Amino acid sequence: MGGMHGFGAVVTPGSDRAAEHPWELRVFALSTLVGIHGIGAGSGRAIREEMPPADYLAAGYYERWLWSTEQRLVRRGTVGERDVDGWVERLRRGDAAPRREDPQAARLAVEATGQGSPLPQALSARFAVGDRARARRMRPAGHTRCPRYVRGVAGVVEAVRGVDAFPDIGPYEGPEEPVYAVAFASSDLFGPSDEGEWTVLLDLFESYLEPA
Amino acid sequence: MSGDHHHDHDDELALRAAALEAVLVEKGLLTTDQVDAIVEHYERDLGPQNGARVVARAWVDPAYRQRLRSDGAAAIRELGYGGFEGGTMVVVENTPDVHNVVVCTLCSCYPWPVLGLPPSWYKSPAYRARAVAEPRAVLREFGVELPAETEIRVWDSTSEVRYLVVPQRPEGADGLSEDELAALVTRDSMIGTGLALEPGA
Repeated sequence: MGGMHGFGAVVTPGSDRAAEHPWELRVFALSTLVGIHGIGAGSGRAIREEMPPADYLAAGYYERWLWSTEQRLVRRGTVGERDVDGWVERLRRGDAAPRREDPQAARLAVEATGQGSPLPQALSARFAVGDRARARRMRPAGHTRCPRYVRGVAGVVEAVRGVDAFPDIGPYEGPEEPVYAVAFASSDLFGPSDEGEWTVLLDLFESYLEPA
Repeated sequence: MSGDHHHDHDDELALRAAALEAVLVEKGLLTTDQVDAIVEHYERDLGPQNGARVVARAWVDPAYRQRLRSDGAAAIRELGYGGFEGGTMVVVENTPDVHNVVVCTLCSCYPWPVLGLPPSWYKSPAYRARAVAEPRAVLREFGVELPAETEIRVWDSTSEVRYLVVPQRPEGADGLSEDELAALVTRDSMIGTGLALEPGA
């Protein structure tokens, strides 16, 4: 969305909270548990971007997460296509939702969220710090981590962040390649501004870049 | 769109969320208290209070500050924080000459272990669209007016790298303990849309 117009103010009433309703954080937890238990297909981030743009913009943040979590479960076959509709009807009729408790499992799930490993170091990299590189012009059909506003623009490599799975070929399943922090001048991205000049830095996969 | 319409829509979403949880519990794929525990963990244990401790330590301990700059995640782990959305951390420092601001224009990437879950404005189309394209106008909405000569660096979190801003240590904070310093460090100051509080403010 970088650079788009028309969304109005950033700070609005209620915008300081992470969530407005209790169900939103439960959806966050469900999504997290689907990941921890490995019971969903693909990546929530990539699937959310499959929403038609008008629906995506109209939907609330955790509404998108609710949609993508159900999609991941259905696509994996963990949950049948009509299963959630079925429980919607039952809850509407007043059926009690099932409950299961397992304190040990609850403790392990929280522990699992503490896992986080750094990107492995890049052993070889096409670009070095200080090199000029241009984000390629492209129009990928699915998920990408190269924003539109940077395509075709040249910047300077500031750091090699490490290597990671290329996200555009299937969700985060592509071969590993270097990721670079690239600094762009605001006027190269957006033209002249009455704010003067500033710098925008993006972390870009090697395949997004060409020498400039 | 009327207020009632919004309300009905929220009810429908709450119902669908409950139904999804019911399906997964019924199938034995997760337990109710796992969901409770994750919600509680992210609401209670993770939040800007963690990042504030990292910043306060960086303010008082030059060697720690150096470790933060060279390997952010490892230095943050020294204080006991790490996990999902914090595997690779880059810590950037605000100075009189440079002001850093963090955004995720593609989605909502945010360093959960040190800041918790992001506020709604961080995830809003408005912030995602504008932070890169008119940072001074956005900062002004947060009450931050920077000198014209300050270089603004906007970090768009487009990879798995997550960013934490170390705000400038406020004037007049010399005699304060690390705990007292941590109390001056706001969430927004660690995103770059705010400044650290003045002592006694």
